[in-house]
Amino acid sequence: MATEFFSHLKCRECGRLYPKKAIHVCEFDFGPLEADYDYNLIRSQISRARIESRPQSMWRYRELLPIDGDPTVGLQVGFTPLVKARQLAQALGVKELYVKNDTVNYPTLSFKDRVVSVALSRARELGFKIVACASTGNLANSVAANAAASGLKSYVLIPADLEASKVLNSLVYGTNVIGIHGAYDQVNRLCSEIAGKYGWGFVNVNLRPYYAEGSKTMGYEIIEQLGWKIPAHTVVPMASGSLLTKICKSYQEAVRVGLVEESHFSIHGAQATGCNPIALAHKAGTDLIKPQPKPNTIAKSLAIGTPADGYYAVNVMRKTGGSAEDVSDAEIIEGIKLLAETEGIFAETAGGVTTACARKLIEAGKIPRDEPIVLCITGNGLKTAEAVQPHLPSPRLIKPSLREFDQLVAAELQGSPATV
Amino acid sequence: MAQEKQRFWLNFDSKGVTRPIIWEMSKKYDVVFNIRNSSVTEEVGIIGLEFEGERETIKAAVKWLESVGVRVEPVEINTIEG
Ligand SMILES: Cc1ncc(COP(=O)(O)O)c(C=O)c1O
Ligand SMILES: [Zn+2]
Repeated sequence: MATEFFSHLKCRECGRLYPKKAIHVCEFDFGPLEADYDYNLIRSQISRARIESRPQSMWRYRELLPIDGDPTVGLQVGFTPLVKARQLAQALGVKELYVKNDTVNYPTLSFKDRVVSVALSRARELGFKIVACASTGNLANSVAANAAASGLKSYVLIPADLEASKVLNSLVYGTNVIGIHGAYDQVNRLCSEIAGKYGWGFVNVNLRPYYAEGSKTMGYEIIEQLGWKIPAHTVVPMASGSLLTKICKSYQEAVRVGLVEESHFSIHGAQATGCNPIALAHKAGTDLIKPQPKPNTIAKSLAIGTPADGYYAVNVMRKTGGSAEDVSDAEIIEGIKLLAETEGIFAETAGGVTTACARKLIEAGKIPRDEPIVLCITGNGLKTAEAVQPHLPSPRLIKPSLREFDQLVAAELQGSPATV
Repeated sequence: MAQEKQRFWLNFDSKGVTRPIIWEMSKKYDVVFNIRNSSVTEEVGIIGLEFEGERETIKAAVKWLESVGVRVEPVEINTIEG
């Protein structure tokens, strides 16, 4: 495939152009660098038919991803189901609702596989042999798995007090897992020093411009799976705010390269109340994000107190007429259960945040009940089972006797019509 | 000792916004600073700074800033993700 679609990196603040290397901030104003493309060229080469003829993975939108050659990491990632959620729609009192289900993304069951497959494909093109990240969970799992599968050596840095299950889901891939004692700030600072000192491909530091673009594929897939339409409303969970801004970028790009008709869309952001710097700023009508030094929520995957893309996320919501909302831990659990009980989808805490925020926004009239809505559900519930466990009943125990079972069922069916 | 360049975002709260903290810092520590970016409201202020100096001096200056209530972040704001 031609390699000239992705032309350079560009500062989001001042627009200065930079070469396509492992760099991530503008030398001039520290603005973040972002991949930029030759959209006219892409427009002349891409088409719905062409995309539809390709394998069902995120790489079917290859022209709009920031690598030079063919992808080499994560070839099976993406193209997760877009579920028409009839029962959840009914529960929320809306007409048309869809769940973009990245709980079953390959291989590590979260949307992070999208960003990591781009970051590592690019890391290989740039000649890195070692890749690294600092993470509290999903990103670490994905870097560990995808690095293992592609023969890259990996280092995963984590806060020392992380839950055992998250650590295990990285360790199993044979990555170097390093726990760091200390508060978030100190861990963060050490990681940025390590990123600066060792010549590694740090997926969310020096490879961030590449990494972040992977999130766009979630948006392209939503458009294609809706029959080449942009949904009027999309609800997106926010940690750094990157996914939300990239969903917006994907919709705009799809219009720009002629894949879809222009139509009005709003992007809404969801956070946990225990770490809601972006939602707070949006509600306060400012775009300056006030850092939250001590996040406290069960939605740990979203607990970023100093969100790198918070400013941009607020602006996307504002410009598209979207809203921001946040929900308590109790509401998150309710959200997880609601999604599971109505659609059979077990999401992690971030999915509970998205579902619960959507409900609140609908009830407040900020998302109209008669327009199409897509919920971005980004991670699998098995990864955060301990958060839900205390809120679920225990199985009822009986002896191996049909009589006991009959009694149990009879008690259950009391009041409802007989079914035997 | 080797000179180094390090880049930080400084976050001020409402009290810090009006105090000449960076000037005070430059009087106390032998670091050259270069302001690259700034936005200030009544509530918060954010300034992008490049420091040039000896590693230990920069470290001490950062520590001092933190001691007077400024939040100092490397420009790689969140190296830790979910
Ligand atoms: C499951 C899940 N959903 C959503 C997000 C939000 O991502 P972003 O940092 O792009 O806002 C994360 C990030 O860590 C995540 O792990
Ligand atoms: Zn710039």
